Amino acid sequence: MTNFINFAYGDFMTFGAYIAWTTADRGVPFFVAVIIGGIATGLLGVVANIVIFRPFMRRGVRPVTLLIAGVGLSFIVQNGITIIWGSEPVRFNVTLGNAIHLGPLVFTPGDLVTIGAAVVLLVLLHAMLTYTKFGKSLRATSNNVDLAKACGIDSDRVISLTWFIAGILTAVAGVGLVLQESTLDPTTGFTELFVIFGAVILGGIGRPYGAMLGALVVGILTEVSGSYVDSAYKTSIAFGVVIVLLLFRPQGLFSAAGKTN
Amino acid sequence: MLFFFTDLLVLGCITSIMVVGLNLQYGYTGLLNFAFYMYVAIGAYIAGVTTMGPTTLPGVTYILGWSLPWYVGLLLGGVVAAIAGAIVFAFTVRRLRSDYLAIVTVAAAFIVYNVINSFVPLFDGATGLFNVPLITGNANLSTEQESLVVLLVSAVILVLFVWISMRIFRSPFGRLLRAIREDEAVTSAFGHASWRPQLWVFVIGCFMAGIAGGLFIFYITAWSPSAFLPLESFFLLAALIIGGSGNYWGAVFGAFVVIEGLAELSRYAPTFGNEADAGAIRAIIIGVALILVLRYRPEGIFPERWLKWYRTTASAARKRVLPGREPS
Repeated sequence: MTNFINFAYGDFMTFGAYIAWTTADRGVPFFVAVIIGGIATGLLGVVANIVIFRPFMRRGVRPVTLLIAGVGLSFIVQNGITIIWGSEPVRFNVTLGNAIHLGPLVFTPGDLVTIGAAVVLLVLLHAMLTYTKFGKSLRATSNNVDLAKACGIDSDRVISLTWFIAGILTAVAGVGLVLQESTLDPTTGFTELFVIFGAVILGGIGRPYGAMLGALVVGILTEVSGSYVDSAYKTSIAFGVVIVLLLFRPQGLFSAAGKTN
Repeated sequence: MLFFFTDLLVLGCITSIMVVGLNLQYGYTGLLNFAFYMYVAIGAYIAGVTTMGPTTLPGVTYILGWSLPWYVGLLLGGVVAAIAGAIVFAFTVRRLRSDYLAIVTVAAAFIVYNVINSFVPLFDGATGLFNVPLITGNANLSTEQESLVVLLVSAVILVLFVWISMRIFRSPFGRLLRAIREDEAVTSAFGHASWRPQLWVFVIGCFMAGIAGGLFIFYITAWSPSAFLPLESFFLLAALIIGGSGNYWGAVFGAFVVIEGLAELSRYAPTFGNEADAGAIRAIIIGVALILVLRYRPEGIFPERWLKWYRTTASAARKRVLPGREPS
């Protein structure tokens, strides 16, 4: 939404998951732990924005500079995690009950919670973007910062709040990812980052609903491919999707050609 | 103690070759290649499999298995890396904006990493190559003497590559590259196809990466996927930007100080928290330094404009003819 690619995004995901893991480990109920992880990641996002990205934005640098600054931030967060929690993978011990069979599909409770959380959050996000004043200011800022400012929108506050909300979503996604993979190490999020890029590009950059659909397609494609080729190449499939898409349909699969956001 | 210094200098020279090559791509003409280390890895593997002879140990499999002399293997490594670079360029660079290009290069690097790691017949999978012959062959040298020989070879190659960089920088070709970096539309309006010079400089950069990889594998005599994690490319880029992108001396400085120097220093860093390792501390320092440099000194420690490129004979003559009209 702020129109640049954040390389540290995956590491935010890891951070959120680690915070949630640590608090859950101390005996805090799982859902509370996830919320704490979300708020912590949101705050991290706000701090990163104010300390690192905002000065660059003010100076109006090229997108490449922001990208590289994101790489620097990614170094800091990822290795900060390594120093605090160690580089060994940790297990996320959450038992939520037994697996549920639905026809040919098997859902673990972790799956259901993840799916449920995804649906609820996406609906909330949609409502927020469409109906609240904040959502409107956010879309205005994303579209044209100067114009938004001229209309009296406090764009700094809007962008900070966006980082906060994105941070919460990221952390929840991180926890969901860890529920699936069941282990967590400092590079988890960084590797996943490119799957996310794939989803976002597939759906069309700057289009939240496209991204949701894109995520579904990339996720299913990666998993299904696992049964045709060696599962060791599973992540390669996702990266391959990213490359092919960027080369041939950079505007996303579902948007009309030439339409810009 | 002597070995400590030669070892440090060898690694510094090899890293410098890489950063000088990256500087050709990013510094000279703005091609953001986040997968530079992939070409280093290609060079290393090719140099390995063309010199170490057929496989002798059961369970160790790799392609080719030739027994060429080391310098032929080194050169082949560079050439194959350059060809790989040309292929990647043909598919990507002409089509993509710089930040998308960055994503594609990283994604491609992940795929190459993944395939080499999982597909054992190619380069022996996750185990990697080992017992690669030394440059000195069977001559019975001590480790110190051995590393001195490698130091000599890599220093000569580094000087050669810096000299090539300098020649390119001062040539009309170099000026064209900088013009493309600053404004591609204007350059093409002046009738220069912007992709052709970029292709050349990209390929030369990849060649240097391949050579650096070859030197690396001959020095440490082993190579495996854990040696070229995608993170390494980011370190090289950080070193270049901190050192001063566009300036070949900045590239050398970045390689020696930012990568090798910090690697040594962070070994003595105090440990706090649990099992903090030197690598993590180094990465954090590099990350902070990268952001600070971008923020307060975006041209790097040695800015490009410090290179007096106009002190060539032709420009000097023009300067005498037209006083007060210095090219900027």
